[in-house]
Amino acid sequence: MLNKIFIKIGSLIVIIIGLNFIYSYTLYENDLAEKCEQIIEIQNSQASTDIFYFGESSNFNVRENDSIKKYISEITGLFFPSLKLTTINKAATHAGIYKYWIKQIDVNDHKPKAVIVTLNMRSFDAAWINSKLETQLQESIVLVQSYPNLINRFLLSLQAFDNKIEQQRESAMLKDWSTTQLKFPYTFKYKTVREWDNAMGQGSFLREDGSWDSEKITLACHYIKGYAFNISENNPRIKDFDEIANWCNKNEINLYLNLMAENIEYADSLVGKELVFLMKQNRDFLVKRYSKNNCTVVDNLEKVDGLEFTDQTWTTEHYGYKGRMIIAKNLADSLRKQFSKQYKKAY
Amino acid sequence: MLFNSLHFLLFLPIVVGLYYLLPQKYRWVLIFFASCYFYMVFVPEYILILFLIIIIDYISALTIERVNGRLKLFYLIASLTANIGLLAFFKYFNFFNENLASVFSLFGMEFQSANFNIILPIGLSFHTFQSMSYTIEVYRGKQKAERHLGYFANYVLFFPQMVAGPIERYETLGNSLKSEHKPLYQNFSDGFKLILFGLFIKMAVADNIAPYVNQIYLDPLKYSSSQVLLSVFLFSFQIYADFFGYSTIALGSAKLLGVNIMDNFKTPYLAKSVSEFWTRWHISLSTWFRDYLYIPLGGNRVKIPRWSLNILIVFMISGLWHGASWTFVVWGALHGLVLLIERYFSKLFKFEIKSKWSLLNIFLVIKTFIITSFIWIFFRAENFQKAKDMFKAIAKNHSAPAIDIDVLYALMFSGLIIVFDIFLYNSRFDSKLNTFKTLYRWAFYSLILFCLMALSGTQKFTFIYFQF
Repeated sequence: MLNKIFIKIGSLIVIIIGLNFIYSYTLYENDLAEKCEQIIEIQNSQASTDIFYFGESSNFNVRENDSIKKYISEITGLFFPSLKLTTINKAATHAGIYKYWIKQIDVNDHKPKAVIVTLNMRSFDAAWINSKLETQLQESIVLVQSYPNLINRFLLSLQAFDNKIEQQRESAMLKDWSTTQLKFPYTFKYKTVREWDNAMGQGSFLREDGSWDSEKITLACHYIKGYAFNISENNPRIKDFDEIANWCNKNEINLYLNLMAENIEYADSLVGKELVFLMKQNRDFLVKRYSKNNCTVVDNLEKVDGLEFTDQTWTTEHYGYKGRMIIAKNLADSLRKQFSKQYKKAY
Repeated sequence: MLFNSLHFLLFLPIVVGLYYLLPQKYRWVLIFFASCYFYMVFVPEYILILFLIIIIDYISALTIERVNGRLKLFYLIASLTANIGLLAFFKYFNFFNENLASVFSLFGMEFQSANFNIILPIGLSFHTFQSMSYTIEVYRGKQKAERHLGYFANYVLFFPQMVAGPIERYETLGNSLKSEHKPLYQNFSDGFKLILFGLFIKMAVADNIAPYVNQIYLDPLKYSSSQVLLSVFLFSFQIYADFFGYSTIALGSAKLLGVNIMDNFKTPYLAKSVSEFWTRWHISLSTWFRDYLYIPLGGNRVKIPRWSLNILIVFMISGLWHGASWTFVVWGALHGLVLLIERYFSKLFKFEIKSKWSLLNIFLVIKTFIITSFIWIFFRAENFQKAKDMFKAIAKNHSAPAIDIDVLYALMFSGLIIVFDIFLYNSRFDSKLNTFKTLYRWAFYSLILFCLMALSGTQKFTFIYFQF
């Protein structure tokens, strides 16, 4: 009986190999385009690309009344007119997704000279890690896992990826906020995000007429939830960025991590110096960790004025034209070291 | 645990492997824990409800067997009340509440009672009905009470069919679970074929139809009559593929363990009448209602008006069994009504359906399909307003259908269901396939495998019948 079973299993494996071949040459690309158009964009553009820019909404979000609506990556490209800079964007993306995108670059075919990856500080926080958009993002990369294409497609149908429901993600986020201890080099009265957030939620802002400014209180609470954390080696995003850095290093591609600007002024005025301390401490950690080998951290954290942030009632990295230009210029300055011959003053 | 999940595809071979490695006397322990684990993947604490059902019916059956006369009936009623009470509490509490409030408001009075905000334990209607059949059979003296609590627990918990049937009788499943099963090649081969086919039917057919149907049912008035009409027919295929797929995987999984469970479907859309449809659709539930409700009510041995009432009662209760909503009751009542009309018609005109296929029979099959499809509207619609909107859209919004790739997929797979039904008419997938020559059989596996792996739906849809 065992012989018979092994023969059948063997035949099945042969059939699956054949079917994988058929699938890869017929339907795979359509499925990929449907689930993750960015990967198709990478594959289609890589032959002519000198620099890839991987980003999320911080790159493409513009202010309604901006006179120039160019993306950060497009403005950066203007400094290097002879180089082809290809932008690959998707809202809410993070290093856990970029690492799959980057690995789609076929270095044997054509190696880009540099890769720029958006380094968004909030992508390390519990809210982003457990965002409800995560399921959709995880679904988008199933087809490029390391299994044969047909197996990946089947895994997609089986929903075999990090496919938690919204409540599960929310409870993971709440758990993190109430259990992860905040670390300061001095004594601080709130031990967790939850404690700090609760205290802030009690009301700290009074209007001139003596009433509570609930909008300010809400915003302050958002700042705490968005930025009050200590990045450590155990953060899943660190592992993702490490993977990106190692891949670039192995393939001798220069990596630029574009650390996005945050509204430090608001963080300071709404919450206080403790939050700013954490933001800067996290920045220092990232700069120190990734400023080695072929990797450069472009530090924009404090580069943009508070008023240049598009959302004044929310924590986002969306900038007006001036803000985008400052970041692009800063990035171009870093790239200039590698592409000094191609650099041309644009602004 | 969902059958159409990687979790299950890893769980099943482990359980099957361990099952045949263990000596017979310990196998029930494995089945017990595997079934508990399978169930607890959904909502762990709900296993306690199942344990309660098991304890109630285990003790009831032993007591019923021991006592005589009126006490026997007393213990049966106590057991049935406990089972139905659990079902009523978890499934119908809010429904009764809302209806009570409506009745009170009719008289200008206010009735306020807090709704019970919990998720319905998965498959509760299936467990209770299966367990009840056991105590009834013990009461009737047709079944000996099981002394071994573990064996009885496995009868209620057996993972391949615990959450959506088939609703098995103790005589077959209970005894089969107690017997020693040797690892037979034929069981593995048939089990694998059934699982493969079941997954294909669920994931490639039902899950490719579901997005279109869901979209239309969300707001039918936004779509043209042809689109809505298409969704009505497509839902017939979706629910069939969904439930038939589940039952086939259940059958295959049990087969791998050497256990035979009953066929729940026999090409229902090839039925020539609604009454025949119910001998082919969800057979385990139909036979349950026949044996434990229809016959005790007098069956067809009563006068025609009473018989008609019996039919309506059975179908309405069957509707309510599916869900705590009047739409399900109407769905059941309509089936009962059509069945009565068919019977009166055949009596009045002395019309008998011949078993031999003819043009007339094809017409009757199409007629039955159209009728059942329209009745499904009440099953699928969340409420009467939605059902009304469906009919309204069909009647009014005339325009040409917009055919996109998703609709083509849905149509293609629905077409495949028809082809399979014709191919499988009155036979089962595994036995039918065994009549094929090896080359054709493997070519067929390849086709099914390709459809399953490359063309299955990519959205998450649980089995429709899990909610019952």
